[in-house]
Amino acid sequence: MKLRILLADDHEIVRRGLCALLQRHEGWEVCGEASDGREAIEMAKRLKPDVVIVDIGMPHLNGLDTTRQLLQHDPNFKVIVLTITDSDQVIREALDAGARGFVLKSDAARDLVSAVEALQSKRMFFTPRVNDLVLAGFLEKGHAISRNEPPNLPTLTVREREVTQLLAEGKSSKEVATLLNLSTKTVETHRSNIMRKLSLHSIRDLVVYAIKNNIIQIQMPPQIRSSSPETSVV
Amino acid sequence: MKSTAVEEFSRVAAQSFLKEPETVMPVRILLVDDHPVVRQGLRTLLEGRPGWEVVGEASDGVEALEKIEGLQPDVVVLDVTMPRMNGLEACRLLQRNQKSAPEVLFVTQHDSPQMMREALDAGARGYVVKSNAARDLLEAVEAVSQHRVFTALTRGPQASG
Repeated sequence: MKLRILLADDHEIVRRGLCALLQRHEGWEVCGEASDGREAIEMAKRLKPDVVIVDIGMPHLNGLDTTRQLLQHDPNFKVIVLTITDSDQVIREALDAGARGFVLKSDAARDLVSAVEALQSKRMFFTPRVNDLVLAGFLEKGHAISRNEPPNLPTLTVREREVTQLLAEGKSSKEVATLLNLSTKTVETHRSNIMRKLSLHSIRDLVVYAIKNNIIQIQMPPQIRSSSPETSVV
Repeated sequence: MKSTAVEEFSRVAAQSFLKEPETVMPVRILLVDDHPVVRQGLRTLLEGRPGWEVVGEASDGVEALEKIEGLQPDVVVLDVTMPRMNGLEACRLLQRNQKSAPEVLFVTQHDSPQMMREALDAGARGYVVKSNAARDLLEAVEAVSQHRVFTALTRGPQASG
């Protein structure tokens, strides 16, 4: 019986690379590929893979919220999060979301096979940086990763986080409504609730909130002569 | 006279029908990206094309310049954002220092006209956005290997001679 893996990354070129890497391993097969978090959830429910590999920076629904929603649907899903950053906050959120593996994209060629093997043997796999952070938190406070907690932010519901990401990506309420199968009025209500809960006053504030809280990520271009840094989902 | 023309037409038609398929144009490619998984994905795509060969890989601009000198590829597929030396800088140095520099095709996450202009100003012949690489890469490599410009933001490709 082959180990079935679902891959979710918005870049086809990355999926091709990951597929090539994973399929070299005898006894593993990539049973599906998704290009955003929403598609990943739909495919995972249908295909019931043994392991789901999700990129953090996906459009429409990021990898952390995808992980949360997958595990809410079925706590037996085994999720490995792929990320381009190993900041404390991202690590904390990935652990909190219930990921059993955390692999840096830059190290994926080296670590991803080990991560899948670990999950296959009912173990977890984290990059050494995560182990250091967990250990430091444990030693200092008696429980894992307790330092630098963000201030008590109001909690958004799953739906509100989805709406936040889509609005921060620049979509209109109407576009969000279409993507989430909601009425525009319902989206407007979510939008007002989000702004009120977070004490935000404009979409610009919402984008800043989404970046700070890893709902969307930004990519800084190298020195370019005539422009300011651009914002994009990666 | 008429029959001669018909005969000539038949002869030419038969020749073109029987002629060998066009010779595959070999292209030697160097892949430069700091993520091995991306390089693997690019390699999988490119090596499916008969005659094209990925002759080497590099993970930053400095390593790329060293490998270009040794391997003399026809086309360099280059990322923009990389450690040590980014792709733009590597491309500028390449144009400045090498007499017969290979053609450069940027494959990058930056879906921005400014960045594309910057890349072309640095001496690149092509620019493709990573999210669309699976769609645009083969056409782009083919174009730049024939010294034609190929640029494609997410709106879609624009090739010119």
